[in-house]
Amino acid sequence: MENNLEGTGERKLQCDDVSKCFQLLESILDGNESADSQEVLKSKLAKCQPCFEHYHLEQAIKEVLRTKCTKHEVPSQLVENIRQKIEEIK
Amino acid sequence: MSEVQRKKYSDQEKNRIFDGEFMPHIDSMYNFGYRLTFDEDDAKDLVQDTYLKAYRFINSFEQGTNAKAWLFRILKNSFINDYRKKSKQPAKVDYQEVETYYNSDDVDYGITSDLRVDSLKDMLGDEISNALNSLAVDFRTVIILCDLEGFTYEEMAKILDIPIGTVRSRLHRARNLLKEKLRSYAQNMGYKTDEEE
Repeated sequence: MENNLEGTGERKLQCDDVSKCFQLLESILDGNESADSQEVLKSKLAKCQPCFEHYHLEQAIKEVLRTKCTKHEVPSQLVENIRQKIEEIK
Repeated sequence: MSEVQRKKYSDQEKNRIFDGEFMPHIDSMYNFGYRLTFDEDDAKDLVQDTYLKAYRFINSFEQGTNAKAWLFRILKNSFINDYRKKSKQPAKVDYQEVETYYNSDDVDYGITSDLRVDSLKDMLGDEISNALNSLAVDFRTVIILCDLEGFTYEEMAKILDIPIGTVRSRLHRARNLLKEKLRSYAQNMGYKTDEEE
């Protein structure tokens, strides 16, 4: 099985270094790694099931946080109040 | 260093920086304040204080650097130094305790989560927000900065005055806690989790 990992798309079921891998995956997902990390990412996701699952779950959570979290509208008076106070200290 | 050398801004320059670089972030600033305090008036006070401080100390802002990160840092410090003291509400998790405990390398990377991508996508905004809001403020903050506001680890380290390694580990820990919250929401709301299969 090990020999055919890439060819068949099968992934190993245990990650050799969960701590290191997951931290790297999150860092890539957060855009904190260089462009060539995309290659590392591709190969990791192709070979390792825990990495594959972790990455996709984290990606989905990041996405729902960004798109679904309640946003509060800035109270209408706030900008005006700030400008007034600034005028006072000028 | 550069602060000593830098010439002071003229009144005209101050106004241009304030209007052009600071004010456009008021939406993010207000939401950050709201997510820290859960109170409209407190959020307004925090944002107003932040902008007044930003104006007062505008000479220490270097043009061309990230104004949003600079403002977030001021707001975060105001929250810790002014708001927390004033409200006399002890933080749910003691800051130092969090540092000591979670700065160590023993972050549990082995935690498996049976939360499913499908059930996440079915969740409502309120459920996602509630899960985030239920985290202790230090964990909530790193997720807000990273996932909602898109700051880099380096920017977060500056905003929070902590090393990058701590940003990484605290973020990872925060995400694990968030996953647990989302998983229990998913179960309570009848969304599918692997556990039920």
